[in-house]
Amino acid sequence: MSSLATSESAEQAPSLPGQFRSNPSRKRPSGPGRSNASQSSPRRTRDNLNGWGFAAPFLAFFLVFLVWPLLYGLYMSLTGKSLTGANDSLIGLANYAEALADADMWHSLGNTLYFTVISTVPLVLVALVMAALVNVGLPAQWLWRLSYFAPYLLASTVVSLFFSWMYNPQLGLINDSLAKIGLPKVAWLNDPNVAMWAIVIATLWWTVGFNFLLYLAAMQNIPAQHYEAASLDGAGAWRQFFSITLPQLTPTTVMIVLLQILASLKIFDQVYQMTAGGPAGSTRPVVQYIFETGFTGYRLGYSAAISYIFFGLIVTVSVMQFFITRRRSA
Amino acid sequence: MSRRQLLAGTAALGSVFAAAGLTGCGGTASAAAVRDIAFWHLLSGGDGIKMQAMISAANGANLGFQVHPTVLAWGPPYYTKLAMASAGGRPPELAIMHASRVPGYAPGGLIDPWDMSLLAEHGVTAESFAPRIWDKSQHDGQVFSIALDSHPFVMFYNTEVAGKAGVLAANGQLQEVSSPQDFLAMAREMQKVTQAHGLSFGYLGSGSQMWRLFYTLYKQHGADMELTPGQPMKADRDAAVESLEFMASLLDDTVAAKSGDIGTGIAEFARGGSGMLFSGVWELPTFKKAELPVDAATIPTLYGTPASYADSHSFVLPRQLNVDDGKRRDVYKFVSDILKGSLSWAEAGHIPAYQPIVQSQAYRDLTPQIHYANAADIITYDPESWFSGSGSDWQTYFAENVQNVLLGRDKAADGWDAFVRRTNTLLSRPNPV
Repeated sequence: MSSLATSESAEQAPSLPGQFRSNPSRKRPSGPGRSNASQSSPRRTRDNLNGWGFAAPFLAFFLVFLVWPLLYGLYMSLTGKSLTGANDSLIGLANYAEALADADMWHSLGNTLYFTVISTVPLVLVALVMAALVNVGLPAQWLWRLSYFAPYLLASTVVSLFFSWMYNPQLGLINDSLAKIGLPKVAWLNDPNVAMWAIVIATLWWTVGFNFLLYLAAMQNIPAQHYEAASLDGAGAWRQFFSITLPQLTPTTVMIVLLQILASLKIFDQVYQMTAGGPAGSTRPVVQYIFETGFTGYRLGYSAAISYIFFGLIVTVSVMQFFITRRRSA
Repeated sequence: MSRRQLLAGTAALGSVFAAAGLTGCGGTASAAAVRDIAFWHLLSGGDGIKMQAMISAANGANLGFQVHPTVLAWGPPYYTKLAMASAGGRPPELAIMHASRVPGYAPGGLIDPWDMSLLAEHGVTAESFAPRIWDKSQHDGQVFSIALDSHPFVMFYNTEVAGKAGVLAANGQLQEVSSPQDFLAMAREMQKVTQAHGLSFGYLGSGSQMWRLFYTLYKQHGADMELTPGQPMKADRDAAVESLEFMASLLDDTVAAKSGDIGTGIAEFARGGSGMLFSGVWELPTFKKAELPVDAATIPTLYGTPASYADSHSFVLPRQLNVDDGKRRDVYKFVSDILKGSLSWAEAGHIPAYQPIVQSQAYRDLTPQIHYANAADIITYDPESWFSGSGSDWQTYFAENVQNVLLGRDKAADGWDAFVRRTNTLLSRPNPV
């Protein structure tokens, strides 16, 4: 967002780089003599210590809860470790070889990717449309903002229960409504062809509010002068939307898409609670497969190997996204 | 010196020390000697309330200990936490497990065997249990679980609907049927009365429900099923396919609803929308509360051999890093107290495992419990392996392959073969216990 702000709004631009430029000159002495340096050295040490002190709580958490598990998980993926404590000898890459030949792993990974694709598109587009609608300046804006964002505040269990009831084939609200307008009943969570879409609908309702807020904030940052100038030149509302709003939102869109892909890849809660991966395994995401092999199937080593394969996939997506973003902003 | 004397001695010594340690604080010796016993279980509904009452009664009757229950959600959450706590060395002193899950816990050393001589001190011996239940408590020649009950999958029926449909026998209970055709005919008679369905069977999305009925019917063929790691699954394909076909034939929207989950099935039966319900005995309190004219029986023998899927809530001893002898003794006392007080457990629908209760007049007076008490002689537990049993992923895999058969989308043979392939994959993988 900031890259666009600096290039477009010329009044604000110089102050930002200026601030940053002043920092290095203070930090690294280019001119001062020896005496000055020796005087400031204990202070710098104290500053450094203070800095580390402030960073320490975060660093401790980072090391204990991220770095250590990451390394330990990698080690575990090379062992036959079981939840029961049996057999934790090193077995090399056997787990990875088994995982790559495991049809269930590929199937669940495929489900995760499928969900990511079919959920990311509506989650971004619907958020954009909702933000545009609110930004047009409807009366009672707070009500729209609240109602669009409120579902995001609910716990996944609440959302899952809520939709499970609505999707109930016999007593559910949705099938009841369909029947009233003469449409056939749908086995929402029990038809392998429909279940994933049913979960996407629930997820969309639940989480689209977050993307909506990001879009709305970005839209409200677009200077009004642009629209004024455009309307003086005779551009209509659609023209303004496609030629001003959308291009101005590009950095936001890139960020939302990245965040959404990462969020969708991690899908687990709703599926576990609404279908437990069924019917016929058609909604089981890879995270659930990792959970099943490790915790209910006891095979921690094997499940760690699948986790690392999945981790590799997420890193790949993030790196790709990083390069795409960089090229755009360059 | 016998083990008993040794234990009695250490307990006495322990209380002397405890008393001595407290003299300076003005506390009473009896309060100091109270030992805290952690007890995990997975009973959260009506049975949870019964269990709490039984625990309170045992606590009240024993001044030496206080049992503190922790209730966890049934299924994977419970079994995962129990396995992790045991593997991590911080388990409770006592836990409840389904007997069918013990083969996944005993070989890995997550639970300790019971010392029957200690239990015998409280009058509980092998003879206290029905033979099938007692057999199930053994693993590799040792006793790993002490059953509190058996809870079979049974048939509830509405006596009012059955009476109007003319399918009651002279004794007021449901007529006996002995073939799939007769059963279907009886269900259709009931459907004419309710105008909705003859039978309720909620199964959608529930591997355990599908499995319970399937395995009952399968075992009625007199067929066996064996799961040996490293070998393909041994099962009678014809019996399996016939059972699945019969289940699918029930779900035709006349005999039973094609798309019903557990909740809708129970609700339908409870409001009189059907004449019969296939479900677990633990649903009984629900129907009593609804003041439904309900009776129950084991699922009719349709294929020659009486059989009924069941499991048992059983006490197990999660392995401790350091066994506290005093606490272990208390655990034995507590378990024997609960067994002896299990008449109230029977009120929740379960068949008590402790025979003196089953043979008591008070139990004989419980209806409809007494009408399915014969199930204890025909119950059949899941085939043994580390991955089978109540609430296991294996039952989920069954649902994944069979639900489409029941919905009429797949052929029974295809669904069964796919389940066998899935099972064989599990059997071919390294055994983690």
